Amino acid sequence: MCQLNLSRIVWVLSNQPMSTHGTPTQHNSTLVISPFITGNAGSKSNANSSQANQVTDGQTTTGPDPRTEEAGNNWRESISHSPYQSIANSPLVQKTNPSVTAASLATPYHNAAQNDTGNGGNGILTSISKNSLFGSTIPSTLRKVSLQREYKDPTGGDANNDAPADGGSAAGESGNNQDGMATTTLTTTTTTTATTVAEFDISELSSIEKLRLWRHDALMQHLYKTAEFIGNKIYTMTGDPNDAFWLAQVFYSSGACIRAVELLTKDMLDSVSIMCRYLLALCLVDLQRYEEALDVVGESNPFYEAADQDAKKQNDGGIKLESSLCYLRGKIYAAQNNFNKSKESYKEAVLVDVKNYEAFEELIAKNLLTPKEEWDLLEALESEFSLLDDNQEMVKCLYTIRLSKYLNEDKTLDARRQLIEEHNLESNVDILRSQAEIYCTQCKFTQCLEICEIILERDEFNGEVLPLYISCLYELGAKNKLFLLSHKLAENFAKNSITWFSVATYYMVVEKIEEARKYFSKSSILDPNFAPAWLGFAHTYAIEGEQDQAISAYSTAARFFPGIHLPNLFLGMQYMALNTFSLAEEYFTLAYDTCPQDPLLLNEMGVMYFKRNDLHKAKRYLKRALEAVKELNPTSRTSVSIQMNLAHAYRRLGENERAIKCFKTVLEVSSKDSDTYCSLGFLYLKTKELQRAIDHLHTALSLKPSNLAAQELLLHALELNVSMNLDADHPLIVNSQLYESNFDQFISSRKRAPRTLDSVGYAKRMRKTHGPLQMANDDDAMDLE
Amino acid sequence: MNSDNQLYLLTDVKSNLRKSSLELSQWKLHRSAKWSAEALCGMPEMPPATKASTSIPTGMADDESPLRKRIDLSLQNSLVHHNNFGLSESEYDLYLLASSLFDCKEFDRCAYFLKDVTNPCLKFYKLYCDYLSWDKKVRGNMESVLTTGKNPKQSTHRDPNGDGDNESEKDFQASNSPRMASTGDSNQSPVSTILRELNSYLDTTVVHLNNGIGLALLYYLKGILLKLNDNRAHAMSFFLKSLSCYSFNWACWLELLDCLSRPDESLLLIKYLDQKFCLEPTENLGSQADTHQNIMIRFFKLVLFQEFSGNTYDFAHELEYLHGFFPNFAYLKAQNALITYNYMDYLNSESLFNEVVKSDPYRLDDLDTYSNILYVMQKHSKLAYLAQFTSQVDKFRPETCCIVANYYSARQEHEKSIMYFRRALTLNKNCTSAWTLMGHEFVELKNSHAAIECYRRAVDINARDFKAWYGLGQAYEVLDMHLYSLYYFQKACTLKPLDRRMWQALAACYAKVGNRQEAIKCYERALQLSLHADQDSVILYRLADLYEQIHELDSCKEFMVRCVEVEKFTEGLVTDETAKARLWLAKYEAKRKNFEEAYNYAVGVSHGTSQEIEEARAIARECRRRIQ
Repeated sequence: MCQLNLSRIVWVLSNQPMSTHGTPTQHNSTLVISPFITGNAGSKSNANSSQANQVTDGQTTTGPDPRTEEAGNNWRESISHSPYQSIANSPLVQKTNPSVTAASLATPYHNAAQNDTGNGGNGILTSISKNSLFGSTIPSTLRKVSLQREYKDPTGGDANNDAPADGGSAAGESGNNQDGMATTTLTTTTTTTATTVAEFDISELSSIEKLRLWRHDALMQHLYKTAEFIGNKIYTMTGDPNDAFWLAQVFYSSGACIRAVELLTKDMLDSVSIMCRYLLALCLVDLQRYEEALDVVGESNPFYEAADQDAKKQNDGGIKLESSLCYLRGKIYAAQNNFNKSKESYKEAVLVDVKNYEAFEELIAKNLLTPKEEWDLLEALESEFSLLDDNQEMVKCLYTIRLSKYLNEDKTLDARRQLIEEHNLESNVDILRSQAEIYCTQCKFTQCLEICEIILERDEFNGEVLPLYISCLYELGAKNKLFLLSHKLAENFAKNSITWFSVATYYMVVEKIEEARKYFSKSSILDPNFAPAWLGFAHTYAIEGEQDQAISAYSTAARFFPGIHLPNLFLGMQYMALNTFSLAEEYFTLAYDTCPQDPLLLNEMGVMYFKRNDLHKAKRYLKRALEAVKELNPTSRTSVSIQMNLAHAYRRLGENERAIKCFKTVLEVSSKDSDTYCSLGFLYLKTKELQRAIDHLHTALSLKPSNLAAQELLLHALELNVSMNLDADHPLIVNSQLYESNFDQFISSRKRAPRTLDSVGYAKRMRKTHGPLQMANDDDAMDLE
Repeated sequence: MNSDNQLYLLTDVKSNLRKSSLELSQWKLHRSAKWSAEALCGMPEMPPATKASTSIPTGMADDESPLRKRIDLSLQNSLVHHNNFGLSESEYDLYLLASSLFDCKEFDRCAYFLKDVTNPCLKFYKLYCDYLSWDKKVRGNMESVLTTGKNPKQSTHRDPNGDGDNESEKDFQASNSPRMASTGDSNQSPVSTILRELNSYLDTTVVHLNNGIGLALLYYLKGILLKLNDNRAHAMSFFLKSLSCYSFNWACWLELLDCLSRPDESLLLIKYLDQKFCLEPTENLGSQADTHQNIMIRFFKLVLFQEFSGNTYDFAHELEYLHGFFPNFAYLKAQNALITYNYMDYLNSESLFNEVVKSDPYRLDDLDTYSNILYVMQKHSKLAYLAQFTSQVDKFRPETCCIVANYYSARQEHEKSIMYFRRALTLNKNCTSAWTLMGHEFVELKNSHAAIECYRRAVDINARDFKAWYGLGQAYEVLDMHLYSLYYFQKACTLKPLDRRMWQALAACYAKVGNRQEAIKCYERALQLSLHADQDSVILYRLADLYEQIHELDSCKEFMVRCVEVEKFTEGLVTDETAKARLWLAKYEAKRKNFEEAYNYAVGVSHGTSQEIEEARAIARECRRRIQ
């Protein structure tokens, strides 16, 4: 019974933003928002997904999460066009001058509609309902009612289920129903097109309905005072829980959560309607009264059993309220740092209704699942996707590309290609972001940066791309851009964790660790689930060499975010720095289980085995690391350090030639480093190439005079140099003999008869040189001193 | 009609702008040219049909005189067809813009506008701009190094053993670091970034390119970049590739020369040029496609000889040959003068330089060498005149600064001299001779550490500069770090195996580190190379001394005798060495009881410290007593 009730309330919820369509003026803007402007109107699926769409809209606008707030802003912006348009498009104007509206309407379909209808005398409502854009044109309250009826009417199976419940819930509403019924005979949800076209006239509505229309319009245009004023009157007049709910909705939207809570609890509304209960919980979460919120939503899903049976059948296209409640529960648990339960709740939310992207996003973005779990979840959702009809493939692909990039890369790529080819989403933010994430996991920061910049050009403060972008900037050391970005963010989103993450990253780049730590901690206080800030916070300790602090910070991060391997990797690195290799190995193995192809991790593992003198293992891991960065640009820091480590491994293994080759490649691509030259010098010394050894050691010392190893090696090499015999093999002798022949000719050419070289008289002079040469020698020697 | 008119105007404006940009840059009005080119590129793309429509006389064209129309078209055609290096029209416009920006030294901007080009020539242009822009920025950092990092005071109290980690070393490190930081700007050097772009371009397009100048230019650039990355072998192969496509790029030959650091490499290169090198006939016209006829190869051989002092006979031959072609080419004369200078024939070199200056008075190239000659020959007044003259021509040429520095050095004003050398280096950081000479100045000021740093820079830039290596050896000798100095003398000696002084220095060094065998070998080699082996008393005495140390008295005696005999050749001129040799011989003979001879030797000692003379007298007295 409850279940049925729920489904109806879903409708209520989904109808809520629709209510604006009641006002003819809003109609255009909804068309703009609506996802199927050009699509075939009137089909059931259309209506469904439009509602789904708008539900998310409603949630995002009011959502407590600051990050979604941004998204909400965008929505609001697009919606906020409507008030301006409304003047030009108001029915009055349209009546007098239909051509103006036709031109001002952005949608081609609608243009066609205008042309089709042709009769400017009709109100826009009629004209559109004629074109069978049915439901959206009708005031939602009316529609809700009518739909409720339909539930009973056409579909036998549903109706049976409905019947008992309806009696209960619809009883209070029946009063209003009458008016609606009188006027709207119009829609059937089951038919593909609205066959019956209703002539619709506002003037036929009852006075209460008119007030409701007024209230909804005010709410939609964010005129909260008006909405509150009217809503209050309606509620007092009717005492209907539904009207109370709407009043609470107004309070919530205007940010007065506490008033909403009071309203909802006072009349025990939360026990009457689940919708009210949901709103109450939402308000409580906003007020950070998590315990109470948990009481309201319950500690676990009360509908768990029933859900399984009914879920499949109920395919009305909206998001099930049950799912939203689960999501809310997850949020509450997350806020209480109960990550396991939160994870379970989110998972449940997604499983109950796959359309609940919010929960899915929460799971992925906060790295609550390990990559394997993520892919398992997708498997589990397989059957759910099938409920999405036409959009099944697309949504599945969209979800797929959001998953961890550590596993099943081919699947991700497949999904991406499919989205690009079949759904023409190539330039969509999410597609681009997935590409950027792939680049990021492959350490291709330059490419990643490019893509991020493309995205940000369109949407400057996209909260999902910014962390990626910031870390790319950090990797590339672009402090100037970071500076600008941080300032922009701080001006616009002073209360957002990303802002302070960006500021902290800037301080990291300019190596002001203290400041960086301050801002990292600020960022993680603002959003305790923001993984990058935690990691950055731990990094600041690691950089300063405070290993204990760093380890504890990393451990926390590892506990919070099982989905990323980085905390474990860094923990391993810290333990390695402390020379506790067994622990380091353990953590590396953990990280390796999560993400086996990260070059950074492979490199660290190689280094660890190198330090443990397990050289062959070290070589193997380093080679794999090198493989992983193969298509990477060879000048990047990562690939250079891997090459270096590999070269050292070769050196220790006594494979001198290979080591030399590696070091040489390093020198070609990276800036000059003293230690590299020193190692090369050492290797040349080993291979008995004394000259080269000395040269390289000298270079090493010229880069860093305090390089003790190089100094010792050089001394050794020079001593060897002294004791080397000046025999026929000595390069000096070889060289000088090479010149012997030339020298003879030089001597003989002096004695040669003057060559005829009229203007220069070269040879003649050569002959003369005999005398002055001696003197010149002395002078030159002086010059040299 | 109206739009036709518009189009016609557009075409007209476009062709006029194009023409003006070209002409203005031809006559070096760079800023005007830049303005025109920018305006040109700011115009909309012409639809391809436009040309056709303008060629058909439209209503507007009828109003105009038909003649003018024809001129315009022909003008446009001539511009596009004759002078566009095979570029399409839009590429040509881009080229105009890029070249004018280049002339105004706005490299970054130039590279930005060219970022998407595919034509090899334009690609070269773009990457070359990238490189120059980087180079410019590096030079900016370099200046600060010169003014702050190279402070003599810092280096005076450096740990003499050179193994401590004291503060002054950190200063040196600091002076080095900007150089590194500039190359590794963020975390990778721009050079490798440019190189990567170039490689990927070459990889993708090389198949489609016919071997035109574009390819040659790209190879040349690749060579330069590889050389900057210390990858000389690769760099050389790309320079050679570039030259085989297009041999008349003298800068490329010079870069190739710069890749060589040892004389034997030069011989190998000549061999390669003679036997394996081949020239593309498309760009090297007519007889110039033949390696033996190609004038550039012959020039290159000449310079190679100048740098590495190879076979003189060949050199004379080449010079004569080239002189036939270019009787009035100052460069040839200068090369000849440099050769004579390298053979230390300063008199002739000076007169050759005189000729050069007379024939081309405002040519400042190589005149720093001329000033070196004047300095060594102590012709101070002439040096002063040269310094004055060149300062009037151009104060801000590195050559001028070197000359002025030499002038101050000759007047013993070493601080000022160093200042001018520094200025020269600011103007051209790759001026090896300035580094070396500055090192000499620091030696004069007894600041060995600063001197060493200078010499090091010199050999970093040009490893063929034997003077810098020699200077390093000497400086370390002063610091009693003979192991180091030995190594550097070896280096110098490798470069100048026919120079007696190198072997002599090497020998002295070997003797100091206690390796007498090698010391003897080196002295003997020096003696071989000495033009007057019988007159070099120093070497002879040292040899004798060393033989005594290893207890080979026979050889020792032989050389002592030879040393004494030097006096015969020098008409009785007595040096310290001959005196000492005499004393030694006197003692030796006295021991052997050959008192007669001992007496003769002892009597001959009239030169030396009072102690020595006393000793000689005592021996003489003793001997006389014994004889009697």
